[in-house]
Amino acid sequence: MQTAFSVKDLQFRYPSSGADVIKGVTFDVREGEIFGLLGPSGAGKSTTQKILVKLLENYRGSIKYFGQDLKDMNHSFYEEIGVGFEVPVHFTKLTALENMQYFAGFYRRTANIQELMERVGLWEYRNMKVGEYSKGMKVRLNFVRAMLNNPRVLFLDEVTNGLDPKNARIIKDMIGEYRDRGGTVFLTTHLMNDVEQLCDRVAFCVGGRLAEISTPRDLKLKYGKREVKVEYRDNGALASAVFPLDGIGFNEEFQNLLRTAEIETIHTGETTMEEIFIIVTGVELNEQAGQAD
Amino acid sequence: MNKLAKLIKGEIKRLVRYKILPVSLATTALWIGLFLFVSAAEARQIAPLVIFVDVAAMSVLLLGASHHLEKQDGTIRTMMVMPVPLGQILTAKTVASMVLALESTVVTAVALYVIHGITLDYAALLLFVVVAGAAHAAIGFALSLNSKDFNSMLGLLMVYMFVFTIPSILFSFGIVDAKYEWLFMISPSHSAHHLIASAVREDYQLGMVFGGCLYLAVLAALLFKFAVYPKFKSNAARG
Repeated sequence: MQTAFSVKDLQFRYPSSGADVIKGVTFDVREGEIFGLLGPSGAGKSTTQKILVKLLENYRGSIKYFGQDLKDMNHSFYEEIGVGFEVPVHFTKLTALENMQYFAGFYRRTANIQELMERVGLWEYRNMKVGEYSKGMKVRLNFVRAMLNNPRVLFLDEVTNGLDPKNARIIKDMIGEYRDRGGTVFLTTHLMNDVEQLCDRVAFCVGGRLAEISTPRDLKLKYGKREVKVEYRDNGALASAVFPLDGIGFNEEFQNLLRTAEIETIHTGETTMEEIFIIVTGVELNEQAGQAD
Repeated sequence: MNKLAKLIKGEIKRLVRYKILPVSLATTALWIGLFLFVSAAEARQIAPLVIFVDVAAMSVLLLGASHHLEKQDGTIRTMMVMPVPLGQILTAKTVASMVLALESTVVTAVALYVIHGITLDYAALLLFVVVAGAAHAAIGFALSLNSKDFNSMLGLLMVYMFVFTIPSILFSFGIVDAKYEWLFMISPSHSAHHLIASAVREDYQLGMVFGGCLYLAVLAALLFKFAVYPKFKSNAARG
C-alpha cells in the first residue's frame, strides 16, 4: 500500500499574519484509508486541507503526493482529487443537473451523474435550481460534486453537517464503499459520530501542531479507564459496581455478581471520541461547533 | 470542445441566467431610443459616448455583479480545485465581459445604420472595443477583488469614475481645450473614449490612436499579471 500524502514539518504563515498558523506538522495519509483531521476552530485543519489541495502555496516543509513533490504538480493534479467543501459551491441560478454537467465537462473521466444523484436522493430534483434547494440537499449535492471525477483521493470538510440521520447514513455508506474500492479520504469534521463510524486513523490538530495521531480504537484505549462498570438491580433499586479490567476473568466478586444479580448493563471504561477531543484539545465541542476554522 | 471554450460557454450561459446580459441589452435599448429623437449628425456625435459607457462603465459594473454573485455562490473556490488553469478561467471571464461590450456595440451600430443610415469603421471599432474592453475587464476585476461585496465595489467604481471617467466625459462635451487631450490619455477611460470616437467619426490622429491602443493593452496585461491573477487565487483560498 502506497502513501497518498506524506507531510513533513509543514509550516505555513498567511501573508497578513505575524505568526505561523501551521507549526511543523508531520503525518502520512495512507492509500485506501479514511484519515480524519480534527481540532477546534482556528487549529489549522482547514489551512492544512487548503495546502494539500493546492489552494494555498508558499508553505515550508515537504509534501509528497504518491511520491511526487506537491509543488511540482500542475492543474492536472485536480483530475485525481475530489474536494467537498463545507459550504455550498454551486451556481444557484442553474439546475443541479446543469451544475453537475458543467463541472463534469472539465474532467477526463467522470462518474455516472445519474447514479450518484439517485444514490443521494437528488435525481428527482435534478431540474430544480440549486438556489431552491434546502441546506441538506445542497450538502448532498456538494458530495456528488466531489465524487464527479471518480477521485483517487477525496477531501471532505464537514461532509454530513446539516444532514438528517438517514441522509447522513447514506453519505457515510458511500464514503465507506469508496474506501473499500481503494479510495483515500481526508476528512475534517467536528462531528465525532462521523469520526467513530468512518475514520481509520485520526489526528488532532491544536494550535497549529498535531497533538495526537492514532486509530480511534487505540485512542479510546489510551484515554479510557481499564475498568468494567456493571449496573444491576439490588432489591429493586438500581445499583452499580466498578471492577478493574485486568484479571477480570479471575475476579470472584465480579463473577459472583454476574451469577447472582439481575444485570441491566455492562460497560467497559473506554471513552468516547468526544471526550478524547475535549481532553486532547482542551475545547468543548459545543464551543466550536458553530465556528468556521 | 476544449476547456476554454467550455468555460466561455458556461460564462455566457450564466450571463443570461443571472439576468446580466438581458439587463445590458435593456440598457443599450434605452440608449438606442435616444437615436430616434436626434438628427444623424447628433447621433454620430452621441454614439461614441453610448458605446464608451457600455464598454468602460457598464461592463465593469456587470463584471463586478457577476463576480460577487459567484463569490456568494462559492463557485470561485470550486473552480479553483478543478483541472483548469487559472489563466483560462480569467480569460473566459474577460471574454464574457467583452461579449457585453460587443453586444452593445453591435446593437448601437445596427441602430445607427437602420435609423440614420450611418456607417462606421467597423473593423477599427471592433479592434478598439476589444482593447478597451480587455483593459476595463482588468479594471473591473481589480475593483471586484479588492471589495468585500457588490456595494463596496460600487463605491470603488464611483471613485474610479470620478477620477478617470467624468473628466473624460466633460472633455467630450468640449469643456476642456482639445490641445490638452494628450494629458487625458493617461486615463484608461479617456483612451477608450478617444479610440471609440475615432472609429465612429472615422477621424484618426494616428499618434493618439496608436498610443491609446498600446497603453490600454499594456495596462490590461500588467493588471492581469500583478493585480488580478494573484489576488484571484488568494481570495478563492480565503473563501
